[in-house]
Amino acid sequence: MTDQNVAEEPPLAISAHVQYIQRLDKRRDEYEYWLTEHLRLNGLYWGLTALHLLGHPEAIPRADTIDFVLSCQHENGGFGAAPGHDAHMLSTVSAVQILALLDAFDDLEKRGLGKARVGEYIANLQNKSSGTFAGDEWGEQDTRFLYGAFNALSLLGLLELVDVDKAVEHITQCANFDGGYGVSPGAESHAGQIFTCLAALTIAGKQEYVNKARLGRWLSERQVAGGGLNGRPEKKEDVCYSWWVLSSLQMIGKTNYIDKDKLVGFILRCQDTETGGISDRPGDVVDVWHTLFGLTGLSLLDYPGLEPVDEVYCLPKSTVDRVLGR
Amino acid sequence: MADQGGSQHGIARTSRVRTEEQKQLEQEKIRKYRELEEQVRSHVSQNHYTPEVFQLTSRLLKLNPEYYTIWNARRRLLISGLLSKPSAGSSPSRASPSSSPSATTTTPSAASSSSLSTATPPRPASPTAGTSGTTAEADEAKDQESDRDVLKSELNFTIPLLLDSPKCYWIWSYRLWVLNQAIERLPTAVARRIWEEELGLASKMLSKDQRNFHAWGYRRHVVTQLESAELDGSSMAEAEFEYTDKMIRKDLSNFSAWHSRSKIIPRLLDERKADDAARRAFLDKELGLIRDALNVGPEDQSLWYYHRYLMLNLVNFVGHPTIAPAFTQEDRVTYVIREIEDIRELLEDYDDVQLIYEALFDYTLHLCQLEERQPDPEERVELAGWLKKLMVLDPMRSGRWADLERDTGLVAEVAALER
Ligand SMILES: [Zn+2]
Repeated sequence: MTDQNVAEEPPLAISAHVQYIQRLDKRRDEYEYWLTEHLRLNGLYWGLTALHLLGHPEAIPRADTIDFVLSCQHENGGFGAAPGHDAHMLSTVSAVQILALLDAFDDLEKRGLGKARVGEYIANLQNKSSGTFAGDEWGEQDTRFLYGAFNALSLLGLLELVDVDKAVEHITQCANFDGGYGVSPGAESHAGQIFTCLAALTIAGKQEYVNKARLGRWLSERQVAGGGLNGRPEKKEDVCYSWWVLSSLQMIGKTNYIDKDKLVGFILRCQDTETGGISDRPGDVVDVWHTLFGLTGLSLLDYPGLEPVDEVYCLPKSTVDRVLGR
Repeated sequence: MADQGGSQHGIARTSRVRTEEQKQLEQEKIRKYRELEEQVRSHVSQNHYTPEVFQLTSRLLKLNPEYYTIWNARRRLLISGLLSKPSAGSSPSRASPSSSPSATTTTPSAASSSSLSTATPPRPASPTAGTSGTTAEADEAKDQESDRDVLKSELNFTIPLLLDSPKCYWIWSYRLWVLNQAIERLPTAVARRIWEEELGLASKMLSKDQRNFHAWGYRRHVVTQLESAELDGSSMAEAEFEYTDKMIRKDLSNFSAWHSRSKIIPRLLDERKADDAARRAFLDKELGLIRDALNVGPEDQSLWYYHRYLMLNLVNFVGHPTIAPAFTQEDRVTYVIREIEDIRELLEDYDDVQLIYEALFDYTLHLCQLEERQPDPEERVELAGWLKKLMVLDPMRSGRWADLERDTGLVAEVAALER
């Protein structure tokens, strides 16, 4: 519990991170680039949100981005991860988030198939009897998809297309005695699932179902000696949990339950300050996923020079304020 | 979204300088991959649902098991090619759609997939139907046999992929879809055997990584199916309870196993038709088990979470099933006091373990709550002492201790300790 082993942390390498994200789409000479095409739209959302938080929203050309997003849309309204990939909830949510970020819902209306069709695609994935959501027509159900649906539909102003109460009831069934939530009823609490359930409840205006005292305690117990946060008891710390845990603490107003300075230090030590990007733990390979969640974590921790992030939508606060008119 | 593919976990950063030769090799690899991808996509988009295309998807998925669109193509290939068509009049499906996890009420691209399935591809696995003398029943039996072989081969196909990528959602999800096909298409006894073997796989995955929550979730799902009427099942609570026992014995800090145990207990006791004495004995045994574990590992969060679960059974007993619902107020108080005393003893060997002080603090408040009273002056001094200890031992969570101090009105007492 002492910090004698903790190395001095470098400052945030803003321009290295911007360049790292810009380079992501120029790595076509790498096998990995082709192996991850099924995540292209998600990756674009991660990278673009990171750039907005870094104050460089223009670092990826806006018009090209919108064209690419629209090229991923299917007749049924859903979006695939890239042209030629099947529609899925996760890539559809990413598409909506990117269009929100770029203030491009008009383009969706004029050149794409329109908001209503997207809303219909998502709403059709709800199981009307259980309230849960599937990821696609093949039916895998998960609270991640429920959150994704609430996130995208509320941004589109179409939340009324689904049975919110049924979905909320399902979430309450995923609650555990420790105040946390699991991936399905009976599953152990997991920081990622807590974020999805809590954010969905927050969007639905139903935080009253949350046992905030127990949840706050469980979340605070995720911080380990080095300052990082883990996702479950007795697991290793990981930068992406800076986001799942911290945003959840923010939603229930308890970010003071952890040591913020130590967490800032941990995230900063996970940077690759030379070639940019952030990794899960210090010294590991960086990727855009951990880069985004390192930055959103720092943003919630009020690190200077970063745009404020919205803890529920994982978008810049300014974007969410504009879209929701608040 | 929670963790998904494409993100790197636990891979060391190394400077990635490639030689000219390595670069060329990589280009060659990319060329071959994209060629294969292009082949599969063009066949699929033209509804060429042939065994050759099926083989191509196998090759591609071995290279990239995260490629969900190809898993979907494979499902369509099976439905419209290799698996039997549901014959008109007969009812091969015993599965009620609403209870099958793969059955969503509406399928958004139902239109597209049904148009695909009208493209009748050859079924090389089964001989031409309509040979003289065969009855419809014999046809159905043949269909089922062939379906069984196809589904089993699909299950075998995914095993090495799962062992390589145990956290890949798409493989788990595909596997479940195949298993659900078994329920829909095969005689119950045959489908049941397939699902029973699946429990073996879940165990195998958990023995490789005891905390893999995909595998725990998968196991829970498989058990639920095996218990269901669809598979002529009955409760497996006893067996699953024993399984958690085995996992805990292997590693006390396996919170996943403790959690699973906490979820099985209420049902287990109901099914045993446990009377009050049996329930009391059960609780005693659980408390004994966790106390022994805490004696050797008082720093282990997993153990304390389970201990808290047991304590909640005593103090928070309204509105949900608990281990000992018939306990009197006196019983509950006696139990809580005994736990507090036992934990106090832990301090003799471990006087700087934060979780012990937390437990003492918590459970003393539980006791007051049970007795519907405020802490007495003596308790207040003790509570303040423990809280002070927590502040010293764990400054990272000082905000939480400050909240506790405020909410319990101990500010003055803690301040007094500081002087
Ligand atoms: Zn991570």
